Amino acid sequence: MSGTKSTNMPRPFTILIAALGGEGGGVLADWLVDAATHSDFPVQSTSIPGVSQRTGATTYYVEIFPVRQAELAGKHPVLALVPTPGAVDMVAASELLEAGRAMQNAFVTAQRTTLVASTHRIFATSEKMIPTDGRYGSEKILGASTKIAQRAILFDMLSQAQKAGTVINSVLFGAMAGSGVLPLSRTVCEAAIRGAGKGAEASLRGFALGYEHAASAQALVPKAPEKLPPPPAKENLRVRSEFPGALHELLNQAVARLIDYLDVAYADLYLDRMRSVVAVDNETDGAGQGYPLTRETARLLVLWMTYEDIIRVAELKTRPERFARLRKEAGAQPGEPVVIVDFLKPGPEEFADILSPGLSDLIKTWELKRRNLGRTLSFPLRLQTSSLTGFLALRFLARLKPLRRRSARFALEQATIERWLAAIKRYGMATRDRELVQEIIQCAALLRGYGGTQRRGRRAFEHIFDSLLENKTAEAQKIVELKQALHAARNAALANPDVPPVPPAATGKPVVWLKAG
Amino acid sequence: MERSFNTEVGKLRLGKGQTFVGEGILAVTKALLQSGVSYVGGYQGAPVSHLMDVLNDARDVLDELGVHFEACGNEAGAAAMLGASVNYPLRGAVTWKSVVGTNVASDALSNLSSSGVKGGALIIIGEDYGEGASIIQERSHSFAMKSQMWLLDPRPNLPSIVNMVGKGFELSEATNTPVMLELRIRACHVHGSFECEDNRKPEFSKLNPITKPEFNFDRIPLPTANYTQERLKVDIRMPAALKFIREQGLNEVFPGTYEDIGIILQGGMYNTLIRAMQQFGLADAFGAGKIPLYVLNVTYPLLPEEVTAFCSGKRAVMIVEEGQPAHLEEAINSILRRAGINDPQVLGKDILPMAGEYTGEVLLGGLGRFLKLTAPSGVDQSEVHEVLEEVAQVKQRAAELLGERVPMRPPGFCIGCPERPVFSAIKMIDRELGGIHVSSDIGCHTFSTLPPFNLGNTVLGFGLSLAASAGIAPNMGQRVITVMGDGGFWHNGLSTGVTNAIFRNDDSVLLIMENGYTSATGTQNIPSSPGLTEKEGSGISIENTLRSLGLQWVERVDNYSVSTVSEALRRAMKTPQKGLKVIIADGECMLERQRRIRPINAARLAAGQSVVRTRFGVDEDVCTGDRACIRLSGCPALTLKDNPDPLRVEPVTTISSSCVGCGLCGEVAQAAALCPSFYRTEVIQNPGWGKRFMSGLRRRVIGALVGTAKELS
Repeated sequence: MSGTKSTNMPRPFTILIAALGGEGGGVLADWLVDAATHSDFPVQSTSIPGVSQRTGATTYYVEIFPVRQAELAGKHPVLALVPTPGAVDMVAASELLEAGRAMQNAFVTAQRTTLVASTHRIFATSEKMIPTDGRYGSEKILGASTKIAQRAILFDMLSQAQKAGTVINSVLFGAMAGSGVLPLSRTVCEAAIRGAGKGAEASLRGFALGYEHAASAQALVPKAPEKLPPPPAKENLRVRSEFPGALHELLNQAVARLIDYLDVAYADLYLDRMRSVVAVDNETDGAGQGYPLTRETARLLVLWMTYEDIIRVAELKTRPERFARLRKEAGAQPGEPVVIVDFLKPGPEEFADILSPGLSDLIKTWELKRRNLGRTLSFPLRLQTSSLTGFLALRFLARLKPLRRRSARFALEQATIERWLAAIKRYGMATRDRELVQEIIQCAALLRGYGGTQRRGRRAFEHIFDSLLENKTAEAQKIVELKQALHAARNAALANPDVPPVPPAATGKPVVWLKAG
Repeated sequence: MERSFNTEVGKLRLGKGQTFVGEGILAVTKALLQSGVSYVGGYQGAPVSHLMDVLNDARDVLDELGVHFEACGNEAGAAAMLGASVNYPLRGAVTWKSVVGTNVASDALSNLSSSGVKGGALIIIGEDYGEGASIIQERSHSFAMKSQMWLLDPRPNLPSIVNMVGKGFELSEATNTPVMLELRIRACHVHGSFECEDNRKPEFSKLNPITKPEFNFDRIPLPTANYTQERLKVDIRMPAALKFIREQGLNEVFPGTYEDIGIILQGGMYNTLIRAMQQFGLADAFGAGKIPLYVLNVTYPLLPEEVTAFCSGKRAVMIVEEGQPAHLEEAINSILRRAGINDPQVLGKDILPMAGEYTGEVLLGGLGRFLKLTAPSGVDQSEVHEVLEEVAQVKQRAAELLGERVPMRPPGFCIGCPERPVFSAIKMIDRELGGIHVSSDIGCHTFSTLPPFNLGNTVLGFGLSLAASAGIAPNMGQRVITVMGDGGFWHNGLSTGVTNAIFRNDDSVLLIMENGYTSATGTQNIPSSPGLTEKEGSGISIENTLRSLGLQWVERVDNYSVSTVSEALRRAMKTPQKGLKVIIADGECMLERQRRIRPINAARLAAGQSVVRTRFGVDEDVCTGDRACIRLSGCPALTLKDNPDPLRVEPVTTISSSCVGCGLCGEVAQAAALCPSFYRTEVIQNPGWGKRFMSGLRRRVIGALVGTAKELS
């Protein structure tokens, strides 16, 4: 963009600040105005606060005319109240998605714009409310920013702000000043912060961190953070002798978790199950690819086999590491007592799950009748886990582990697992279509959570298996169609997580289950 | 109040020779005092709330000058307040958010403009249009035309705006007509400076009251005076206005070298247009440009002779007029036609969009099209094309690189907002009863229509939700739930909705959100606010008001107890009792509450007294990531993080450190029987010796039981 055609004429330095309500974007705009005023530069800022201050996206816009008033002989530059694409010198975003929004709106151009943005994410409601993972990919914005901006200064400013014990706006201000493009000296910027009074010391610390980061790092482009590898688990002999090396680490993790969950025999059952899945990978040339089917099955199977019953929850809630983690998270100083209250709502069904199948059915039938009448024996329980009685109550539940193997839930889960594994093997061997098998494997992700979520997920799972996989007419379908049908059915169940699925179709009738409700 | 305005109050005292530096709407406030107003009123709302807030904090300054300030019950009340200027030489000003406020005020405005005014009457309109707006998109211009009030739209810099406040009063008095001063959102919030004048004490005021009331039947809208008043508008007031505007030179012409074309624009559009001209190389940094401009600082009425003089001899004229209908374009076309000037091609809404804000990009595109169509000599068409093309290319490239649109981030309930749990309860009842029609109102609670709640089928205006249910309720198989805020209740809801529902024995469920303030506009006080100031009277309880109307079914519930709220709702939905059933959802605005409590806790800590700090958390190994909690709450503090479990690929739900410990997530997890992941931690700061001893004892016993030497809780 050519911008102002008469290039020898001074033009305003234009700054678009993209932020979220409550992040101090207004204060940042005020600092800029103050710093420019002290530099004797004409300056103007505007904003659109309105209701967007309530956590929504908002923008502030500042124009600084980098010529001293004294040299202007009483003339006043015309400063705009709105940013115009192609005429923005700096976009400062306090969060990565907002940087993406500024690029989408064409405010970042290669000819003119320095992009200064924090790489941390504050997720939008639409990203958070989706089961599984609805997050917008940070890497897309990071990748685009270096290609679109004249220069991109990107780093996690939130962690720097936390380090300085301040709010993100001061770090952002520091990074803007440190970019070297802003027509304001470090001294006047810091004077502006000092002049604002309240919290100035912390803000100055944040400013310094931001400044140094931007000044030292030449257009550094961070990658999306990668997950740290887990600490290696104890090596299992069966894993070593019976499975290919690529799978050892994963399977060792799984075995350790299963022994912790129940016992060694349970871990053996897991390994027996996994052996047959390796065969499917071998059949579909998966060995050269690092056993993708086995890996995914191994991961989902161990999560499934360590399903969360009240025994498991009680155990997890009384681990010593948990107390330490919660103290740290609450920011408790040594010597400050921390009270922990757990919000539980145990009901007859949860207890029935750990009883024998006969007894369990009796209780569940009875509870279902009551629930249909609008009554339930579920009761909200606020358990003070940090108290002795609360702690002992949970420990008692955790010690019921021996009941698990003979429990109704255990039987149900093992039967469903066998159904799932059978389908993986049968379709894997028959079709040798890796994508199709992945679709079947991913059905395990439907069975998650507790209470209503668990019930709905189970119904969705059963529905898919009844109507699409264990059904003669459905089996006759083309592989491509079956893949699509599975994919659609799974997504429909995940997309309408709060709506109960339609009741299972009669067997023998091919139904492509698209959308519930 | 959301913030303190002490610094701003100080600026109101500035005198001649001093420079005011600050926000546009506060410059207007200062200009009112310089103009010798006797009284100021209004109703809060973005973008003019600060005018009210500052004057509310500036009682001393006002008392010294004798100026009366009143935060009115609604905009109709504010407009009616201008009645003081009908008979007496009192200058008065009122303000509100428009177009909604002007809608509410229009009854009084029609009467006011018909009666005419003796003292200057100025209406400061915060035009909530375009980016950042929170209301229906209409323009206030039409109101000025139909009631015949003059409309000022100054260039958006502080000296111009301040000058127009003074001229507005003079114009009003010279024409016996109320005057509207229109300021867009960004102009209200623009930060700039102007040279002050001394404040002026009004001639008549609290300090020097009027002693003799005036009766003049000519001011009453009854026959035959009403007919006379309409004639006066046409025969006397309009010509007087045209004369004043012309003689005072309120509109501005900026010359340009391309004399065969020109642009006529609203004053408020000036800066954006200059920026677009600069991008095409047609203007310098100080606005000196190549295209002649006719800037309408007064957009109603238009001066026919100025329009014809500007357009004569031109090939083409572009009209930059934001909003629709295109009143200016139509009027200009009509003026030229009547004057027999047919040469200039008038381009307006055909090269600029009919609807929506005229942003930088919009005006850049419009001006580009104007340059292409008119091809002024000296303008390189390829450069015009290049400028436009580059914007398009940047957009396209960003779209390609990003792949999908970035998610929207609309405003929502704050962390700890007391209204969120109520909607969690409604959502649960909605599922239980198979879908409920919800009649919504204006306020923070309108955010319930957004994800994750998506509750609220209609919004018909401030305080009108109960009235809006009157038609649908009898035609619905199941009772309808009406939601109304306490702000809406006092603004309009009590009279239009509640009393009539009782009077007509409507079978209705009304849920009143009593958070104590008009929170969406900046937490201003209302009659039922806690902690009213001494100036504000003794306060009025909503519950007592309802009971005094004879209402039997009134329940007050604690918002944060989701099960209590949902049980009350269930009772109200299912009771055989006919008539109005009201649930008062009681929970103070969390922003205000935090503001109130923070200093108290800081003082307690400093004094060594015990303070409990509460926050909530999610056990990362218990959460299975179905997000049911987020879909039932939507709290901003409830968010996602990468799963620390190497075997799980999906993120885990977590609670950020911004949690204020309201407890909704735990409540919802229990009320909807979601999952056992939620916990509350209470850190006891400055614990007494008893607490410390007991805590130490527990820690040792539990530590021994789990077989660890580590410090536990």
